[in-house]
Amino acid sequence: MATTIVKPPNSTYTFSSQPKAVQQRKKYREPTIGLQDEMGNFGNIMYDRRIIRGNTYALHTLPAHAQPDPIELQRQQEAKRRALARRKAREQLRTRTPEPVHGRKHIDVQTELYLEELSDRIEEADVEIQTDAFLDRPPSPLFIPQKTGKDITTQIEAGDLFDFDLEVKPIVETLTGKTLEQALIEVAEEEELAEIREQQREYEEMRNAEMIELQRLEEQERRLRAEKERRMKQAKDALQLEQEIQQKIAARAFAKSYLQDLVPSVFNNLRENGYFYDPVEHEIEISFMPWLMDRTMKQVNQLVMGRTLLDSIIRDVVSRRTDDYEKLEDILRQTILSGVDMGTSTGDQQQPIIEDEQQQNESDINANAAINEEAEEREDEQIPEEEAEH
Amino acid sequence: MASSTIPTHYPQLIDPTRTPLAFQRLAVPRLRRELESTTLLTRQRALRSLCDYLHDPEHITPCIEQGIPGTLVSILKDNDSFCRLKAAECYYVIASHAIGRRAMEMGDVISRLSELFDDKEASVRRNVHRAIAMYAEAPPGAENIIELKLIPNLLTKLTAELDEIKEIILNTLHYCLMIDKEQALEANCMSVLTNLLTHPTTKIKTLAALDIFHLSLALKGKEQAVDLGTIDHLVEFLDSESDELRSKAAVALASIAIITPAKYCAIKAGALSKLLDMLDSETTELIVNALKAIVCLAEAPEGRKQLLDHIDKIEPYKNHRLPNVAKQAQIAAKIITWQP
Repeated sequence: MATTIVKPPNSTYTFSSQPKAVQQRKKYREPTIGLQDEMGNFGNIMYDRRIIRGNTYALHTLPAHAQPDPIELQRQQEAKRRALARRKAREQLRTRTPEPVHGRKHIDVQTELYLEELSDRIEEADVEIQTDAFLDRPPSPLFIPQKTGKDITTQIEAGDLFDFDLEVKPIVETLTGKTLEQALIEVAEEEELAEIREQQREYEEMRNAEMIELQRLEEQERRLRAEKERRMKQAKDALQLEQEIQQKIAARAFAKSYLQDLVPSVFNNLRENGYFYDPVEHEIEISFMPWLMDRTMKQVNQLVMGRTLLDSIIRDVVSRRTDDYEKLEDILRQTILSGVDMGTSTGDQQQPIIEDEQQQNESDINANAAINEEAEEREDEQIPEEEAEH
Repeated sequence: MASSTIPTHYPQLIDPTRTPLAFQRLAVPRLRRELESTTLLTRQRALRSLCDYLHDPEHITPCIEQGIPGTLVSILKDNDSFCRLKAAECYYVIASHAIGRRAMEMGDVISRLSELFDDKEASVRRNVHRAIAMYAEAPPGAENIIELKLIPNLLTKLTAELDEIKEIILNTLHYCLMIDKEQALEANCMSVLTNLLTHPTTKIKTLAALDIFHLSLALKGKEQAVDLGTIDHLVEFLDSESDELRSKAAVALASIAIITPAKYCAIKAGALSKLLDMLDSETTELIVNALKAIVCLAEAPEGRKQLLDHIDKIEPYKNHRLPNVAKQAQIAAKIITWQP
């Protein structure tokens, strides 16, 4: 019965088309253009009216003669008449509208939506009346085209037509079903999200706790390290101070020990270098010795002077003697020369002169030796003086 | 009679706001064709259908293969705000899948999305931020956002946006800060977040505290937090109504109190008694975070002196059924009873 429901124009399916014959598939390509329209005219012979299908005995063919059969005609007319009579009888049988009450009468009225003039009625009477002039022209009625084509009727049995109470059921079911389905999907989605959030929260609870613990330990570690560094620095400082003090003490001790024998050694050195002297000795050296030297030098100078004088005297004497001897020689030579000239020579006279010369030489040598002795004496005197100065 | 079999699709034109889906593998090409249509109505209908269609994980792969993310990029620049809104929503759904995120990274979608930060429609901005937050949820996505240097931009938006969008931005930042903190620190993130701590909404305060935690894992972040007085705000939150806020405040405090000046700031602000009160709660996250904060504060001599009187509060947790809690409790006990 559901199949009889008239579907709304826009049904479930989005595609629709007029029914049409299956297009014959072409097996080959069309070879020429001229053949094309001929091919197009071919139709399906199954639907060709010219082709007889089925039993040929029941075939309704036109009779060979053109004249209609008079018996046949009569039968047709009779049938027509009978149909008319039947219709009349049926009209009479039909229940009619009850008689009108007194003072009223039935009249045919048109009940259609659009009023039309009944043109098939024969005019019975002419009555003229004058109406008032129209006050306002009413708006032109919507043009409704006249109905064309044949009317077709359908027999509708009870229950055939759309029954809302019945038909609404699947629609409402679909509506609620789809709505519920969508809602369930969304609820499931939200529940899933909530579940994820809850899990996330639990995870974060642990993560946060661990994070804080981590940072706390880091901070603790940092503090401990800072403390340790501080302590180490302190210890290092103390150690350094101690070392410094030790070094100072050591330096002091060293300095002390170093300076301990400084004074005696300095005195020794000074003494050795003669900075500590005897005033008497110093006095002797400063004032007495120069005086002594002065006097000695004077003495020696006098001696030298005396000797020089003596030397010059000796030189004078010697040079005078030499002159004398030369004079004598000259005299002698002249004498000799003269003696030769006389003829006798005296060899005895020459001998004493030579002896004189020897004497003279001996005396010179003696004088020289005396001078040398004096010089030696002087040198001997000077040496002790120098020694005393040192 | 009507048959009782339920068709797998909507009746035709049952919903005029959606495009009917084509059958099976033809669905995506048809949607794509209609997304590129010049008619506004067709585009809007296609986008609505696509949004529903993407929710099924099976449909993500064909959509990405057919280049839907690329088509959506051009729709992000559409004049119609509804189109932009729906396109951003589609990206949000796509970004919840690993292959979707990869496709978005390849198509350079994030920089396009970030251009919509200044959109005049709040709902468009919200969807854009949701898509980016979802994208940042996985580390590769967050890395991509950092590469694109979007953090300063997000921070400026954080001061001016609606509360709902602020929450989403804070989530995005949360994921990004897990990857990299330098960019945010340079963009003065800590002061922005500290200002947000005075916000009336608990949710925003919670998220801001969480972001502060991530930010202060860097040494510079801790120093800034001490300078800006973030610790006082966080200590205030330690006895608030919301467990979530208390927990995040404790963990943020723990991460800041690594450095010595922060420890003394926190002790001075009276954090220790509040943290010890937190140990009585049921939530394990709260206990773990409180224990961490206590450990950090116990490193300072003053903190240890105060905590020595309350060591019996920590003792029961040393044999907790959860290994994480037990471990943290043991560490805490060890630090408190430590003697030089």
